Amino acid sequence: MGIFRLDPEVYKQHKDEVLRLCNSFQKIGQRGLSDREIAERLGLPERTVTEIRCVAERDCYPLEEWERAIEFKRKATLEWSALALKRPELKDK
Amino acid sequence: MSDAFPPDATRRLKTTALKAGAVVCGVADAAAFDKHAPQGHRPDDLLPGARSVVVVGGAQPRAGDWLATSPWVLQTMGTTDRIQSVGRKLAQYIESEFGYYGLYVPPGSAAGDTPFISFALAAELAGLGSRSLAGPILSREHGFLYWSIVITTAPFDVDPPEAEPACPAPPCREMWEREGTTPCLKICPASNGGCLEGRLENGRAVRTFYDAARCNTRVHTHWIGGFQKVLDETLNEPDKEKRKMLLYGDFFTRTLWAITYSSTNIAQCFECMRVCPAAHGLKEMK
Repeated sequence: MGIFRLDPEVYKQHKDEVLRLCNSFQKIGQRGLSDREIAERLGLPERTVTEIRCVAERDCYPLEEWERAIEFKRKATLEWSALALKRPELKDK
Repeated sequence: MSDAFPPDATRRLKTTALKAGAVVCGVADAAAFDKHAPQGHRPDDLLPGARSVVVVGGAQPRAGDWLATSPWVLQTMGTTDRIQSVGRKLAQYIESEFGYYGLYVPPGSAAGDTPFISFALAAELAGLGSRSLAGPILSREHGFLYWSIVITTAPFDVDPPEAEPACPAPPCREMWEREGTTPCLKICPASNGGCLEGRLENGRAVRTFYDAARCNTRVHTHWIGGFQKVLDETLNEPDKEKRKMLLYGDFFTRTLWAITYSSTNIAQCFECMRVCPAAHGLKEMK
């Protein structure tokens, strides 16, 4: 027993297609499909698609991207403070 | 209680919402979601017989929050809690005052990172704002707001969608003419490690691409995703001392602070909104 566990092989086989169809990468004029809609299109159970999507959304960027996020925000925040308060030295804080 | 729906019910509902702390309150027709949202993510899917969706907005960051030199200030302040409590109050009010079902929609997720219902779509359909190039719904009068929604079987009067969008703001149109970009596209370009792509066309914002997965690493850096990533890294680290560095280090500690602090989602990246003239405006203060 245990919780529903996705077969890693099923994940590998379908993750790119599920990511392409869901809301993770949005393009104009192309609404992301729901898990149910993706399941119908790929002929998979909805629960399986939900699991593939959840894992893939977390899996598509490595941990380094989280570290880059920290640096991006730190820099952007200081740049805005410097601009808004007209204190350019804050940029280098 | 009379069976007839009081003609002044919508006015009373909105007055109650504003008194409870909402900055704006609008009502969308529940059936209007059918055209935009997939089955399973419509009001009637959560509350069979739903007739209207009440949307409240507010609890936005203050001028001082936007100016903070540390991104962790807004990360900690950026919580939907305060407007969610207004939503909960309205659900109770609808049931006790009018005798109709009121389902407060939790701001959490239905599966993975997918919400029960799109709050952004609800705010748009209730006429409270429109989608910005960066993504968040912006109110013409108040800019960036947090949202809470209540689905109800009560037939409240429906508001029309907003006619003129807040985005693009006049300074953004000027910037587009001058530089071929806008503040939000410039700060977070998908072509250079960011999340957004788009353009202005006939004075209207057109978003052409949005990398929600990367946005998630920024909006929820120290949140569920960050926790899972470090945990995964830790489980794969055979060296006990190196495992300790990961688990006791700043990233994991800050993540635990965040995810144990609140029961609702906390936004952690505001950079596209921080530079957006329509989101908050730069207020000069003493």
